Amino acid sequence: MFPVSRSLRSDPPETTVTGMESPTGPRDRLRAWLREHLSYAVSEFTAATALVVLFIALSLASPHFLTADNLFNIGSQTAVIAIIAVAQTMIIITKGIDLSVGSVAALAGVVGAIVVRDLGFSVWEATVVAIGVGAAAGLVNGLLVASARLPPFIATLGMMSAGRGLVFIITGAVGVYSLPESFQLLGNGEIAGIPFAIVITAVVALAAGFLLSQSRFGQHVYAMGSNLEAARRAGIPVRRNLTAVYVLAGALVGLGGMVAASRVSSGQPNYGIGLELDVIAAAVIGGASLFGGQGRIAGTLIGAFLIALVRNGSVLLGINIHYQQVIVGLIIWAAVYFDQYRRRRLEARG
Amino acid sequence: MSNNMRTRKGLAVLAAWAAMAAGACGGVDVRDESGGGEGTTTDGPLELAVVPKAVGHEFWSTVQAGAECAAELAGDVTVEWDGVNAETDVEGQVNLIQNFVTQNVDGIVYAATDSAALAPATQNALDSGVPVAMIDSGTDPQPDEVPLYATDNRAGAAEAANLLADALGEGDHDVALIEFQPGSQTNTERVEGFTEGLSQHGNLNLVAQQPSLSDVNEARRVTEDILTANPDLAGIFAANEPSVLGAAQAVEAAGRTGEVVIIGWDAAPDEIAGLRDGQIAALVVQNPFRMGYFGVQNMVEHLREGTPMESADTGVTFVTPENIDSEEVKAVLEPSCDNPPVDQ
Repeated sequence: MFPVSRSLRSDPPETTVTGMESPTGPRDRLRAWLREHLSYAVSEFTAATALVVLFIALSLASPHFLTADNLFNIGSQTAVIAIIAVAQTMIIITKGIDLSVGSVAALAGVVGAIVVRDLGFSVWEATVVAIGVGAAAGLVNGLLVASARLPPFIATLGMMSAGRGLVFIITGAVGVYSLPESFQLLGNGEIAGIPFAIVITAVVALAAGFLLSQSRFGQHVYAMGSNLEAARRAGIPVRRNLTAVYVLAGALVGLGGMVAASRVSSGQPNYGIGLELDVIAAAVIGGASLFGGQGRIAGTLIGAFLIALVRNGSVLLGINIHYQQVIVGLIIWAAVYFDQYRRRRLEARG
Repeated sequence: MSNNMRTRKGLAVLAAWAAMAAGACGGVDVRDESGGGEGTTTDGPLELAVVPKAVGHEFWSTVQAGAECAAELAGDVTVEWDGVNAETDVEGQVNLIQNFVTQNVDGIVYAATDSAALAPATQNALDSGVPVAMIDSGTDPQPDEVPLYATDNRAGAAEAANLLADALGEGDHDVALIEFQPGSQTNTERVEGFTEGLSQHGNLNLVAQQPSLSDVNEARRVTEDILTANPDLAGIFAANEPSVLGAAQAVEAAGRTGEVVIIGWDAAPDEIAGLRDGQIAALVVQNPFRMGYFGVQNMVEHLREGTPMESADTGVTFVTPENIDSEEVKAVLEPSCDNPPVDQ
């Protein structure tokens, strides 16, 4: 038995995902569907409103904000956080959490850089290697959570430490430099004038969104997060699916790490310290619930851009880094508070 | 200090600095005769322990080369080079120093992983009659008879402001500062040194200051945004390796290479490449070779001739596209005992 499932069983039935328990009739099913989708719409609406308000405020506050260059900059700056936040969202939906994303991204980035520098791999081959490194770390996380039954917090806390240690061992704590210019493709290249990093982010987000909302696997992911025991009894191969989520998320983290390395044309052993906070914040601001079973990619993207806008705006307006951190903290509180407040009202009415 | 670890080599060019450093580093002129050695001199072979913050980094390998070079030139001196694997292994270093005291080496030259935690270890060595010299990082408190051979970050950063002023010339110019780790001692010294240096140049206006958190991605991001917010930005001082690299990439991505003058710190391979490509105007480079060299040289003189050990700035070298191929700079960037970067 998973340690987490005990507390899950007491969750209110409202959080159970559509399709897992047969509603008694079409009316009930419609109500459940409406409640489900309204709830998402509400949290995404809250975050999107904040995004729009901030966007307008920054446009007024800084003459340099609303320029094509700056908007592309924001897009590229957000790319890595968004890709990794997508991975984090998948894990959060299963009622998990991944604290190791920063370490794993750094590991994938330095390994990707090293195989190019020392083994003469092409940037594409290196990307495959980086994704593989991320997936391998994800597999370890997944096995620890699903088979060894460690709480996700502990499993990934261990990976956070071990992964960073590996990065320092592999690199000798020195950045990986002297890479060919082709290495910059993922982070600095363009397709039809659009930064490649933005294109990758869009593809990842669309694919993950489709997987979660349209596939059977996606249904299972929500079901496991809502009520693991019920999911198991419904015949879902819980252990395999849970492991698969961590592997998939790890692969995305690896990709994100490679994009980050490519952007700065080097493998950086210090990359991604504190990254987990940004991506967890992005997911939570976008409506993902740390209690599992809730979260959508669209919301997470909004959350990621909201955080990126705060950072971008802070520098444009010359705000000290310490205040930036306070602002992000306030936004997390506000986003989750309003989200819960509106959901409660919705549920009271429904 | 971890950013320093990756740093390669440096060499002082301003003679005046020695005096400044002695003041800044709390150097002493009078040797406390009750310290190690009891004021007597030692003849015959010497065995010195030289302990870095951690082994396995290029910075410390260069310190080792300097220490061994000084030992070789002095003659009949053995350097016992040993260190912990990670700078965070403070307890391991305390034990290591203790072991060298127990072995009764003639002197200990080391860099403290933690200024407070290693203070008792230093005192214990002195109490046992083993003189101590510190390199790169001292202890707090540091006994009067223990010298420190380290980079004067404040003076180096102040000179970076002068370099920026020289490069930009007459007229009013907007400049930005990319610091790295707010709260760390080294960061504070470089930031304060730079801003003090800037105050000497009324035509330079500091319009932005953001930290890179020693992460190239973060350095690039904040620099991009600073460039966006300040279209007239003319110069940047980036205070460590990741900050320099990120700033240079942001300037290049914005298509403003050459228009925005970058003064950097450290000499990682990509920084040298950036200097040669014209992305970076000058680099402030430390001299770890000299740290090891001074530590051993002064310790040997102290043991053999009773000369008091005095703290000294190991100095920085300003590397520019013009001087990068000069013998003097080469000696700093690729030091060897044939041409040690230690002229005094």
